[in-house]
Amino acid sequence: MNFKDLRRLLALMSENDLDEIEVEEGGRRVRLRKKGARAAAEAQEAPPPFSPSPSAASAPPRKGVSREDANTITSPMVGTFYRSSSPDAEPFIEVGSLVGSETVVCIIEAMKVMNEIKAEVEGRIAEILVSNGEAVEYGQPLFVVERTGG
Amino acid sequence: MFSRILVANRGEIALRVIRACRELGIETVAVYSDVDSRAVYLRYADETVCIGPGSSGKSYLDVPRIISAAEIADVEAIHPGYGFLSENPHFAEICGSCKIKFIGPSPEAMQLLGNKSRARELARKVGVPVTPGSDGMISTEQELLAVAHKIGYPVMIKAAAGGGGRGMRVAHNDISLVNGFHAARTEAEAAFKDGSVYLEKYLEKPRHIEFQILADMHGNIVHLGERECSLQRRYQKLVEETPSPYLSKAQRKEMGEASKKIARAANYTNAGTVEFLVDKHGKYFFTEVNARIQVEHPVTETVTGIDIVKEQIRIAAGEKLGYGQRDVEFNGASIECRINAEDPDSNFKPSPGRIQMYMPPGGPGVRFDSHIYSGYDIPPNYDSLLGKLIVRGRDRNEAILVMRRALDEIVIEGVKTTIPLHKKIFSHSNFISGDIDTGFIESYLLST
Repeated sequence: MNFKDLRRLLALMSENDLDEIEVEEGGRRVRLRKKGARAAAEAQEAPPPFSPSPSAASAPPRKGVSREDANTITSPMVGTFYRSSSPDAEPFIEVGSLVGSETVVCIIEAMKVMNEIKAEVEGRIAEILVSNGEAVEYGQPLFVVERTGG
Repeated sequence: MFSRILVANRGEIALRVIRACRELGIETVAVYSDVDSRAVYLRYADETVCIGPGSSGKSYLDVPRIISAAEIADVEAIHPGYGFLSENPHFAEICGSCKIKFIGPSPEAMQLLGNKSRARELARKVGVPVTPGSDGMISTEQELLAVAHKIGYPVMIKAAAGGGGRGMRVAHNDISLVNGFHAARTEAEAAFKDGSVYLEKYLEKPRHIEFQILADMHGNIVHLGERECSLQRRYQKLVEETPSPYLSKAQRKEMGEASKKIARAANYTNAGTVEFLVDKHGKYFFTEVNARIQVEHPVTETVTGIDIVKEQIRIAAGEKLGYGQRDVEFNGASIECRINAEDPDSNFKPSPGRIQMYMPPGGPGVRFDSHIYSGYDIPPNYDSLLGKLIVRGRDRNEAILVMRRALDEIVIEGVKTTIPLHKKIFSHSNFISGDIDTGFIESYLLST
């Protein structure tokens, strides 16, 4: 659990209007609780065996979409995430957008090169997990896509 | 001084660099491939960035991924460690253009010394002896045979872009020479993207003795003494020690000065190692410069008390060395064993897998530089180095006793390691008497 993960949890709390969130992963547990305008964070570390796991790819609870019906689009590279092709343009997709495997969902900029990232799955965007201009690493979850049709 | 450094490497050297940074109060950013997600040093870094899948080409060797990570993590400098991008002038150049300081020599110095044939020319120019060989690259069979006949068999065909023991072939006659020449060019083209080769006289069972140098960006250069690395298998070092049991005080002084001369001529800055071969008559010959920190740097740190990684960082930050050759002191003797996850009884086949139980050695005079822990899964994608066991004694004999004790104490279970081989080396009478050369391991292995 690192600072980046904590930030992500806080974002999730405010996006979903949660008062408290508790996450356990690999022997470590974090609870975030809102008190008025402030949130208190306690980190408890379980004793050994030691298992460092830097990316919290699976931890936070989600509203609405059950895991069996969802695919996660993860970042294929390291860089900066953008929702649209330029600051003035409309975002490629929004929550609720339908995507196909060739649909461009975002840009990841690396070394001044704007890389268009394709969905590579079909379905409807259920959640956008990162914000515009945020730094992303390889394997970081970007979008949750719920499968459509039956 | 830098406030934030990215460590562009993995394993024990990533841990080593992070340790130095922590002591200097510098924030660290560790990059890792997804198969390295459970590396122990990730918990000591201030920030971690996953840069790609296990394949080195898509992670630790991938310049755009490393630079991208450096940019998003907002670092001021990159330490490349050894291997991977540490001797890649293109990478060093890109760091410069992205206003990120590359902790190592300039791209120009790296380029010059990276071409082993040009490095020889440079040494020759400043009057340092080089192994008899070709004047530059060989392009035709005619030239090849002419040089070989002039210097006499056996000869060594070497890739100009090689180094670190790679891209070398011995030839004992015209036929093996010509065949070897074509094969070497093809291999070099594939491995180093540069098929140029040159020729050197092949010295029979020489001793490998190298000198550590440090050069700041203000014109000051010192050498930190030599390391004897004669115990090798297929040109990969197994045991390194300082001081060399062979060199006299006069030889040490002369070779030390020669190393600095070469570094100066190449406008070299930061840490580097100048390698020599010494023949049976005590004649020394320059072979190559390694323009990076080396695996075996700890033995030099042990006898000089100088932290080479910290010096690299200080130098890159523009600081002066602050000391001269006369200030460098040498105390005691130090020996290092490279412990690899390989099976010495099965032709050193790599032995990846889970370390079921690990107990580090300890006590006075013992240092173990390693990233392993009980329960660690050794990924099969990278080299097999588990750790470096370094000991110190007041003299070589005491160092040997300490190493024997440490080799008995250390426990690594679950994978095969080269610990049993090291135990044999440290009870071998020739090793104990210092009667070693680069043929030691092969002749010793063959005889048991």
